Amino acid sequence: MMNRAVVQGSALAILAVGILALWFRARYKARPASDGGYFTREELRFELGRLQSEALRWLTTTNHREIGILYIVFGTIAALWGGMDGMMLRTELLTPPADIWTPETYNALFTTHGLTMLIFFVLPVFFGIGNYFLPLLIGADDMAFPRVNAIGFWLLPPALLMARFGLIVQIGGQVLSIFLPKDQITFFLSLREVSVGWTLYAPLSVVQPNPQIDLLLLGLHLSGIATTVGAINFIATVIYERADDVTWSNLDIFSWNMLVTSSIALFAFPLLGSALVMLLMDRNLGTTFFATEGGGPILWQHLFWFWGHPEVYILFLPATGLMSLILPKFVGRKLFGYQFIVYSTLGLAVMSFGVWAHHMFTSGVDPRLKASFMAISIAIAVPSAIKVFNWLTTMWDGDIRLSAPFILCAGGIGTFIIGGVTGVFLAVIPIDILYHGTYYVVGHFHLIVVGIIPMLMIASSYYWYPIMTGRWYDKRLAKFQSGLLIVGAFVTFMTLLVIGGLGLPRRQAIYPPEYQFAQQIATVGAYVIGLSALMWLYNMLVSYWRGDVVQSTDPWNLKATNQFTREWQWFEDRMVEKYDMEPAEPETTRRSYAPELEPMGLLGGVGSVAQNVYRNASMAAIAGFIGTFLMTGGIGTAIVIGVLDPASFAEISELVGLGTSQLIGALLFLAGGTIIWPLLFLSFQEFLPGRRMFETGLVFATLVATGFSVAFYTDQQGLAFIGYLTFVFVAHWAYGLGLAVTFQFLRSRRTDVGV
Amino acid sequence: MADESILFTYVAPFVGVLVVAVGIGAAVPGGYAIIQEDITTCDQPTMAVEGPEETQQRFNDSQPRTLPVLQYENLSEAEQDAFDEALSDPQGEARVAGAFPNGDTIRNGSIIVSEGERHYATVVAENPCFVAPALQFPLGVFAIIFGVIGILSPPIYRKLVELEDRANVE
Repeated sequence: MMNRAVVQGSALAILAVGILALWFRARYKARPASDGGYFTREELRFELGRLQSEALRWLTTTNHREIGILYIVFGTIAALWGGMDGMMLRTELLTPPADIWTPETYNALFTTHGLTMLIFFVLPVFFGIGNYFLPLLIGADDMAFPRVNAIGFWLLPPALLMARFGLIVQIGGQVLSIFLPKDQITFFLSLREVSVGWTLYAPLSVVQPNPQIDLLLLGLHLSGIATTVGAINFIATVIYERADDVTWSNLDIFSWNMLVTSSIALFAFPLLGSALVMLLMDRNLGTTFFATEGGGPILWQHLFWFWGHPEVYILFLPATGLMSLILPKFVGRKLFGYQFIVYSTLGLAVMSFGVWAHHMFTSGVDPRLKASFMAISIAIAVPSAIKVFNWLTTMWDGDIRLSAPFILCAGGIGTFIIGGVTGVFLAVIPIDILYHGTYYVVGHFHLIVVGIIPMLMIASSYYWYPIMTGRWYDKRLAKFQSGLLIVGAFVTFMTLLVIGGLGLPRRQAIYPPEYQFAQQIATVGAYVIGLSALMWLYNMLVSYWRGDVVQSTDPWNLKATNQFTREWQWFEDRMVEKYDMEPAEPETTRRSYAPELEPMGLLGGVGSVAQNVYRNASMAAIAGFIGTFLMTGGIGTAIVIGVLDPASFAEISELVGLGTSQLIGALLFLAGGTIIWPLLFLSFQEFLPGRRMFETGLVFATLVATGFSVAFYTDQQGLAFIGYLTFVFVAHWAYGLGLAVTFQFLRSRRTDVGV
Repeated sequence: MADESILFTYVAPFVGVLVVAVGIGAAVPGGYAIIQEDITTCDQPTMAVEGPEETQQRFNDSQPRTLPVLQYENLSEAEQDAFDEALSDPQGEARVAGAFPNGDTIRNGSIIVSEGERHYATVVAENPCFVAPALQFPLGVFAIIFGVIGILSPPIYRKLVELEDRANVE
């Protein structure tokens, strides 16, 4: 078995040396070489003095932008460390037996991977982005409490070291064992990385003798304090430090999201802190909060997940804020449904505290309570879906610029949809019982945490790179890296969804050989993600010294669509002041398209929304009835000549729970054709191909016919099959034409009457 | 951008990354398979041994009938060493480095009686050696190198275009 401490220690050291070498090489090459190009003694002394003053500045800074950079650098280091854990455990899964790492090492790898990524990577990076840009976005001079801000950050490095102290001690033990006998360094050999799973479930976390668990708990507690302190600062900043013209109704979405995220953190993290202290006391002071005979291990699960599920939204909401901020800039349209996105964010914040027990559906919680958690867990999909629909609508028909930030935004929406929808299934108790503890769960949540979350982090790093550095990143490499990340995430986690769906349990170093190929695909996908992350890092580091200098005060040409937001105004002012640059003037300016302000489309007109909906819906119902009537001719003929089995209509009534009645099924079919399909057509017809409504009607009917032909297929073969398909399509085309023509006829009559 | 080759700017490096990723998956374990016997202790199962109190607690003072009982004296030397080491280990675990004649018995849980005290012992990990075909490592390394060339194809391509343009001008 490979020695994890040695391997990971060496790999991290190589990575650190590589990054430093890259940084200094890029910096050295960027400097003007006036003489032979070798260091003089004076130069070396100057360099050391500069390093000293730089170190002092970074250690004592209270500037929000510098603290933001510190947060981002810290989060990136944690991501590399936790990411390496991930790569190592994926390497183990290349083969079915535990023949690369021991099962205990594997357990430790997934424990530390989860904790490092969730606690020390995601939120610090978002706090970093927030620190840098939130004051600029709201017109504040700095965060409300700059010193508290610095303290909040500087609590994190010791917290990470404590949480990951096991690895450091293990490496120390390996080094010392070369020189000293084993019995003199027992401490170093007995402390090891925690391997009880990131959820630290009692009673295992109470009874395991590994003292590193205590250090981990202290480290997590410290990070919780840091998060709470940071959250208070964000809340105070948004409420009290806004510029006069920044109101609640025009506050940018990212700041809204940071405000809401901080509010959730304020309620969730102190509770985690209490639970961690209780666990520490159980382990060391003989209390029985989580002992089987005392408070019970289930109490730990309740407390943990009462923090744990809101934590999901603490991690996710800043990413959605970035999406709502960045996406519109690359499609030339204002964000669709600003208010609804704000409300959905607030809704998610409240609901996130009411879903925690869905992590405990397989435990002995009262089934009635479980049912209520199931209901809220399903309902929480609604505000998330509101966001997705608004993003899609923002993009729809937009003037899309295929840049790296946009590619990542689009990829983030895609991964979020799949990650989110697979989560809705897990919210349902019977399905969760089936899939609990399988790779399905791993695939589901990784499509969020290796989907929209890092994708939007990286998108924002590209979007704001000119502000942070005054230079451009390598755009080709960025586009390539973005695509690679999306492909890697899909390949890896879709594969995990599939093998989880087949029932393969997670958290096992050993698995049945028939899953090997799938596991290998997932591992290769994971390596692609890792390579993509390294490419991003390379681009960020090297472009800082060698990227093209930004030549415009409006690098993204945002003025052309009136989306030149405050942080860019700040950038422009700085460029004008510092380099005497001319403020950028776009060649053409147009009002960025704000869909809410446009008159309604083809189907709209004068009147309130309710009046329009009522009028259109009633006309659609009449048109739908006519269409269905026409369609009945085709369907009826198909039944008469025997290519369509009327019994298949009974399945509709069975589907809605009304028994297997052909008559009820046929009536439901008629109702659907009269009400549901016309309304769907009305909603989407503007977006279907075709200039005239009868054309879109035919396209719509073709789409519906495809679904019908699958749903009503009853094993027809040969000519019967061809006849079945023909009648289905012809009947649907009759429906589509009837629907569209009748609808237009009714509208034209209304117009005539109006005239 | 318009006159750039999509093939060499995006497709070739993409294939290159895939080849590198597959190469890492082959070369890292393949290389490990070659050196594992020199640097690790594979094929030495990990035995966990519980103290007398834990053993008593585990079985609630009842004597499990189905559990085989072994006498410490009857264990092989390697088994005895592992037993002693596990008892003094904070995690209660140790590797069996040598002959493991009672492996099948201990593997499914057994009671080992030592100095009149009963200890529950079992194998918690088999730690098998990693088996890989001899060609896995060289092919993996080749794939990494080949893939890296693919990744570097955009700058190589640009250099070649530059060269050709210069040649045409001259």
